[in-house]
Amino acid sequence: MEAIIEPFRRAHASGNGYAVSALLSPVAPPDDAGRLYDFYRASNEQQIEPEIRYALKYSKSSRISPEESNAWTDIFVLYWKAVGEILAVEEATNQGRLEDRIWVAVYDAWKALTDSIQRYVSNGTLPFWAVVCMYHAATNLRKFAIKADEQLASTKGNVTFNSGFQDDVVDSLAKTEKLEEAARLFNRMFALCLGDRNPDLNESRKWGTYYMANLQFKTYFKLKTINLSKNVVRSIEAQPDLPPLPLFPKAHQVTYKYYTGILAFLQEDYAKAEVLLTEAWSLCHVAATKNQELILTYLIPCRLVAKHNVPSQDLLARFPGLQRRFGPLVNCIKGGDLTGFDNALLAGEEEFVKRRIYLTLERGRDIALRNLLRKVFIAGGFEELKEGQTEADRIRRTRITLAEFAAALRMDIGGEGSGQVLEDDEVECMIANMIYKGLMKGYISREHAMVVLNKKGAFPGTGV
Amino acid sequence: MSLPITMGWRQPMASHTPAYNPVPARQTLVMSAQPLPQQQAAPSPDAKPKKAAWPPAVRAYVQRAFEPDNAIEGVSSAEMETKLKQTIQYFAELNFLDQLDWANYPLPQTIVQNERKAAAAAAVAAAASVVGNGYGYANTAQANHVLTSNGSANYISSFSSPKSSKKRKSSDMEALNPDDGTPPPWRKTNNTAFDTRETHSSGKQEKRQKKNEAAGGNSKFNQADLEKRKQRFQTAKSGSRSTPPWASSRNDSDSEPPLPAGPVVGTNMTLEKSYFRLTAPPKPETVRPQHVLEKTLELLKKKWREEKNYNYTCNQFKSLRQDLTVQHIKNAFTVSVYEIHARIALEKGDLGEYNQCQTQLRALYAQKLGGHPGEFTAYRILYFVYTCNKTDMNDLLAELTPADKIRPEVKHALDVRSALALGNYHRFFRLYLSAPHMGGYLMDLFIKRERLHALANISKAYISVMLRFLTDELGFDSDGETQEFLATCGAQDLVEEKVTEKGTQVRVILRGTAAASIFEHHRAAAFKTVDIKGQI
Repeated sequence: MEAIIEPFRRAHASGNGYAVSALLSPVAPPDDAGRLYDFYRASNEQQIEPEIRYALKYSKSSRISPEESNAWTDIFVLYWKAVGEILAVEEATNQGRLEDRIWVAVYDAWKALTDSIQRYVSNGTLPFWAVVCMYHAATNLRKFAIKADEQLASTKGNVTFNSGFQDDVVDSLAKTEKLEEAARLFNRMFALCLGDRNPDLNESRKWGTYYMANLQFKTYFKLKTINLSKNVVRSIEAQPDLPPLPLFPKAHQVTYKYYTGILAFLQEDYAKAEVLLTEAWSLCHVAATKNQELILTYLIPCRLVAKHNVPSQDLLARFPGLQRRFGPLVNCIKGGDLTGFDNALLAGEEEFVKRRIYLTLERGRDIALRNLLRKVFIAGGFEELKEGQTEADRIRRTRITLAEFAAALRMDIGGEGSGQVLEDDEVECMIANMIYKGLMKGYISREHAMVVLNKKGAFPGTGV
Repeated sequence: MSLPITMGWRQPMASHTPAYNPVPARQTLVMSAQPLPQQQAAPSPDAKPKKAAWPPAVRAYVQRAFEPDNAIEGVSSAEMETKLKQTIQYFAELNFLDQLDWANYPLPQTIVQNERKAAAAAAVAAAASVVGNGYGYANTAQANHVLTSNGSANYISSFSSPKSSKKRKSSDMEALNPDDGTPPPWRKTNNTAFDTRETHSSGKQEKRQKKNEAAGGNSKFNQADLEKRKQRFQTAKSGSRSTPPWASSRNDSDSEPPLPAGPVVGTNMTLEKSYFRLTAPPKPETVRPQHVLEKTLELLKKKWREEKNYNYTCNQFKSLRQDLTVQHIKNAFTVSVYEIHARIALEKGDLGEYNQCQTQLRALYAQKLGGHPGEFTAYRILYFVYTCNKTDMNDLLAELTPADKIRPEVKHALDVRSALALGNYHRFFRLYLSAPHMGGYLMDLFIKRERLHALANISKAYISVMLRFLTDELGFDSDGETQEFLATCGAQDLVEEKVTEKGTQVRVILRGTAAASIFEHHRAAAFKTVDIKGQI
């Protein structure tokens, strides 16, 4: 028992939440792989409570108040029980026979631990730094909840039928019961951090706010209840005395900006999304390539739609994952290759949909189309020089027949073997769209079957 | 008199049974004013709270029920009356009073007797199965209680709690209530101060229920509403009679009727039934079994084709769905019921009902029960196009399998989606005209919006177009319709007629910013709000 209580005493005396939290980890530290096992084997159901109580209360150096000592006793006893379940899973996995509810048992035990930490933090029995223990426990709870749900879904299917006397057959489609339960607990923790009234900011639990917010985002995304994230953002924005975000640990900042950026992205507020994601990108730790890649996964489509920018080859080259994901699309956009674009989008559809960027990337087709039409315009050459004009006055031919554009489009998408017939009206429709979206300047004249483009800046932002 | 039996059951410790002969003890004025049940004449229809004129057949039935010749020994007149009331109320609620063959319908006392027999048999079987498990009193006496449970509301309420003065008051109040079943004789007898003290150990159990009832009696609701509510619960309570005696013996002290352990098995043979939201487990006699429901579905389909009465049809479908639910029927038939209801709701633009069906169908398809998952997946896609719900659309796209995507309906819906995403109005309106199944009805929901969008588009890209061009591009039926549509946008001034040598040309002049701003304004307004009803 001393093996865990002794380091606890030291960590507690120095007020180091991270050290205490490390002692309550569901994973053994790398330098002491047998710690969980030893801790669990050191006692039994009957003995664990009195032993811990004794160890905490009657140590010479202890300066822990009786209430707090009781709280820690509770926590360590629950931790001991949870460790028992975790070891059972480990053993079962090693023997290759996972029982039906084994992860649920882990989840339940860990939930009891997390609940009690939350309770003791909430009623002020534990010192402020215990917030760290709380949110680390919560992070692990999320992992166990997901495991438990997976196991439940695989054993009992995912549809619950109505057993009462409601009107309809199906009760719920819940397959994430445990994670939902955990999400409610996270919400309580979040409120607890956000609403702390301790005037001394050094001892405030407010410092846990963004961590909990991020955990909630993560959970809601997993639960596909993304809308609930907005409540979190709203409560944070409505809290006037929260310290400014730059004062929080960078890790909290980056994650928070990343998630709020995605929220804006999903609401199609690309300008806001771009700002937030760019901030997250620039704050992100240099070595955290996985996180950088995640940020870029949203930042690239965002810039493509908002600014018609495509990422440089250099940038993509740094991230093989992104190169694979976006490389073909970017090349097709640049080359005005609509068929290639469609194929690349189709090839990556599954992943794009999973990342929720499919519907945004799809709009990149406009840029590809613009580039194709621009090629037609450039191929149209220049007007004849009139008298008195010099080479510098040379202007491009701005009256281009619809047939020319149609020919280009048919070469691309309506070509032989594509099975698509491109009607003239559809070509007009595509050009009308370009004009409407401001990607092209000019108008269509139906009588003359002609597109009349502006003499200057027919394709804004592209140098022609 | 069923007193000893019932008491014996209520209090298995026989010591509580009064060891004296019941004597009509002190009664309040009100109580004695109440005619004794034996002498009570048939309640005249006017005495009913609902001042409805009962059909003569019903009157005759009531008359017969009270004829002394028809009395059955062992069935008290109070029980008979309660049953009679229930029967009439039940059919009255279903609006079935006129159709029922009252002359041949069994008398209430006969019903009670039959029910007793049935339950006694069940109890004997139960007793055999529970021997030795501590529920030794699952005997006929208990069975008897189960049978009389329809009267138990009154019976239970007659037990007084230690706060006798208040209790009595409220029970007197109940007695005042003309519709309340006349209290059986033992009730009055036992309801003395003495007895209250003696029996309150068991009375305590009913205290909560008693309280509830008293509270209900004193509340602000008017008598008629209360009456209605009470009737509802009474019907419901007798419905729970179908629960086996052993289940009820454990739950009897709870005021809540026990939840059915398993599905109800319906016995109702009528084809039509109005929807009525359940607040308690249903009675088997109100629920139609599947073979009847199948006929109902055919009837409803026929009626819908002939009469197109949506309110009636929707109501019938809801009761049909309810019957399926309470009987836990989940099969191909369930799927077809939901599918047909969803289609009808779509046709009538009832999105609330449509969404309910769609949710259910989603889960039912997941069970691989047949049906038309492709068609309804397509509707879901179109619906998300309508609601502009990008998040849900994304989730839906994530769910689709390659096999789904090549189904013609799904492919059509996906094409609609992509055409709109790319602003390709030309292709969109072609797809609108070729929508399979009920897809057109769903697309009607956003067709106006997309026309405005296309017009905003065209007004920026063209200087002038022929009216016919708009008619063709925007999927209108005729030039007249196009013109009308333009007029509703306030754009009628843009239309210009020109007589040339080739005939009259109708053009729409779009030069300048005025036209563009008109359509842009309407477009923005149309996209701003999407009314979402009953969405999941």
